[in-house]
Amino acid sequence: MTARPPAVEARGLVRRFGSVVALDAARLVALPGEVHGVLGENGAGKTTLLSVLAGLLPPDEGEILRDGRSVEIDSPRTARRLGIGMVHQHFALVPRLSVLENLMLGWPGSPLQLPVDQVSELARNLADTTGLAVPLDAIVESLGVGERQRVEIAKVLLQEPRVLILDEPTAVLSPPEVEGLLSLVRRLARDGAAVLFVAHKLDEVLSVADRVTVLRRGRTVLEAARQEVDEGVLAAAMVGPEAARTLVDRDTPEGGDSAGISGREGGLRARDRPGGSHAPGADSLAAEPVARLQEVWLGSDKGGWRLQDVSLAVRPGEVVGVAGVEGNGQRQLALVLAGEADPTRGRAELPPEPSFIPQDRRREGLVQEFDLTENMALRLHHRPEFRKGLFLRWDALEAWTRGRIQEFSVRAQGPEVLASTLSGGNQQRVVLARELAEEPEFVVAENPTRGLDVAGEAFVHDTLLSLRDRPEGPAGIVLISTDLDEILALSDRVFVMVRGRLEPVEAGPDLRRRVGERMLGAS
Amino acid sequence: MNRSRGWIVTGVALLATVAVAAGSLALGGFDPWEAMRALVSGSLGSPTAIFSITLVRAVPLILTGLAVALAFRAGIWNIGAEGQLYAGAVAGVWVALAAPSSVPAWLLLPGILTVGGVAGAAWAVVPAALRLRAGVGEVITTILMNFVAIHLAAWMVHGPLQEARGVFPQTDRISETARLPVLIPGTRLHLGFAIAVILAVFLWAWLRYTASGFGIRAVGASPDAARVAGRIEDGPTLFRIFLASGAIAGLAGVVQVSGVTFALYEDFSPGYGYTAIAVALLAGLKPLGVVLTGVLFGALEGGAGAMQREAGVPAGWVDAVEALVILSILAADRLIRRGEA
Repeated sequence: MTARPPAVEARGLVRRFGSVVALDAARLVALPGEVHGVLGENGAGKTTLLSVLAGLLPPDEGEILRDGRSVEIDSPRTARRLGIGMVHQHFALVPRLSVLENLMLGWPGSPLQLPVDQVSELARNLADTTGLAVPLDAIVESLGVGERQRVEIAKVLLQEPRVLILDEPTAVLSPPEVEGLLSLVRRLARDGAAVLFVAHKLDEVLSVADRVTVLRRGRTVLEAARQEVDEGVLAAAMVGPEAARTLVDRDTPEGGDSAGISGREGGLRARDRPGGSHAPGADSLAAEPVARLQEVWLGSDKGGWRLQDVSLAVRPGEVVGVAGVEGNGQRQLALVLAGEADPTRGRAELPPEPSFIPQDRRREGLVQEFDLTENMALRLHHRPEFRKGLFLRWDALEAWTRGRIQEFSVRAQGPEVLASTLSGGNQQRVVLARELAEEPEFVVAENPTRGLDVAGEAFVHDTLLSLRDRPEGPAGIVLISTDLDEILALSDRVFVMVRGRLEPVEAGPDLRRRVGERMLGAS
Repeated sequence: MNRSRGWIVTGVALLATVAVAAGSLALGGFDPWEAMRALVSGSLGSPTAIFSITLVRAVPLILTGLAVALAFRAGIWNIGAEGQLYAGAVAGVWVALAAPSSVPAWLLLPGILTVGGVAGAAWAVVPAALRLRAGVGEVITTILMNFVAIHLAAWMVHGPLQEARGVFPQTDRISETARLPVLIPGTRLHLGFAIAVILAVFLWAWLRYTASGFGIRAVGASPDAARVAGRIEDGPTLFRIFLASGAIAGLAGVVQVSGVTFALYEDFSPGYGYTAIAVALLAGLKPLGVVLTGVLFGALEGGAGAMQREAGVPAGWVDAVEALVILSILAADRLIRRGEA
């Protein structure tokens, strides 16, 4: 096809973790000057493949070629020397250091002199040429997730990589930020770099990629140019033939609309089914709220208010969607609603133990080094049926866990596996199983699908909607998400959080545009 | 495959440890063979060596090791077992000496053990409060409290608690009724060993089977998940564990006085509270493992004594060899675990 060798090529990569085969003869060819989409479900091996290319994990077998020459990438340092840079899904920034200090970390040069001027200069150039501006003097831990993401990207771009790996870069960005990132990616490719782009949203990948590689269970199952494929083909390749069918079934419990897989504009999304058009019946509007905030203010350690005069009543049978750019108080709202933080002023009337799906499932949802039974026990150990005096009834807890693993289709060998061995999607299923199994009346879900693949996302959405629509005792759900698609698809009422205030957005035509404007602070 | 590799690494590590010890001895001009023989025979070579030396020396190591392991499991970096041990020893000796001779052993013994535990806990109150109220790192505060305790004990044995003769910086010997009974007649193995083992079993069962023990493990493994998913208030939990850890270390101090030394003197502890950190870490912070590693370190100390007496290796050199052996064991342990992972 072309005389130029691929910028990077992986042949027959195998990588095992204990008995789990994460990569099973995976293959990837990325040409210079192209944006290469890498697709696959959670646990398909995307992150493993990219980590191998970035020198974070040694492969057990296989070969990597860079510009046609066989190379051994045994460390991130080697990867950088070879011109390979990776932006991580989970940030690799030092929270206590400033942005500039983080940018200087690992900068080649004299060990005795900090390249302050050089790096600031480069960062300003980068901002001028790409629009990727970062606040150099800010301390990283004071930044929102979206800003941290920009710092992470800037850090890698400063090294002018010829192969740029972006692992789920859009997960935490607002729609305008996503647009900015995508155009940046296109420009980098035009300048001759090979960009490997991983995202769980098919439409994003399709809008930017020149070619795609699809992984399933550690194998490369499809390699194609963008024009040769559509969403249906890709989705089928990702989930496999049998799973694709069950996904359709699950997406359309009524059996009618099969929007789930064949795709209107959003493609393979549970949210495309007509859930969004659900209107709470007159009953539920009249019903007593399951949770209520009255003029809630929440102060911050650093002074100022994180929540300002927030009032909200959540009724059974509705999903209240809270959109907003990361860092406008959603986190604090979630904590107050979940009963984890007490309002500084105002009142929060909540059920005794709200079900809470925290956005950081790795840190707050689960104890990584606990097994699944122990993770379930986090929630259940207060309850009398799992206690015998001072003792925990581990047999009952294990039986309960076993049941939930089945019910929520957690892909795990049993209750005794450690949470850390599960993929992101399966970890989220464990959290859902714990928080949602016993028909809660009130649920707070904070970015519940962040970082999940299509099937995982569909599962979360279906679970939430079926709780809302449960005939015997519907649940009231607050969905806090930076993913506007998710908010619009699932919510019965939509609010936007801007600088600690919760503002309602009227239903009606053009909702997306109006919500988007409100998110950016326009009124 | 992994298992056999684990054994190979273990074997190599043990050989390396022996080589390090032998090499450092040879470096000092001693006969390594003779010295190593003394080390083994002095710690494990006879019933006397086992029951009167190794296991006796293991008692304070197991107890302080449990104190450290419990704290570390909850995410509290209590480096203060040494000071808490001194606090327990001082308080226990004081009460034992002050008690009228008419108080019977069945009352006096539990009494001084309790006092020692309470004193150890009290010694942990300041670091615990500073950590949980003001966010002051407990690593520093517990170390500083160690110095205070060690010097306080030194002042006590030079001053208020000095022996009646007023010659040596030590207390009078405590009465028979304040001494822990011997477990196996004809040996020096005292009831403290049983107390240490029972406490280890208790802690193991508590952490494993009870709701509150589970809460500790959750807070220690992930404070965020414990708070958000588990609704466990980590503040009060951590405060109690900090004090419990101090109490166990305090118990170690009073048990040592009541079972072995029968008096308090300057430099009463050769750093049990610090060795305890190695004991606890090597045991993977598991209470039952602490019993094993405590005995291992007890054997090392006992054997080191024999090396000094029988092979003529000076005390300083013995200390250095001991430290090198501990380092090799810890390094080998890391290698073995990496092999398993």
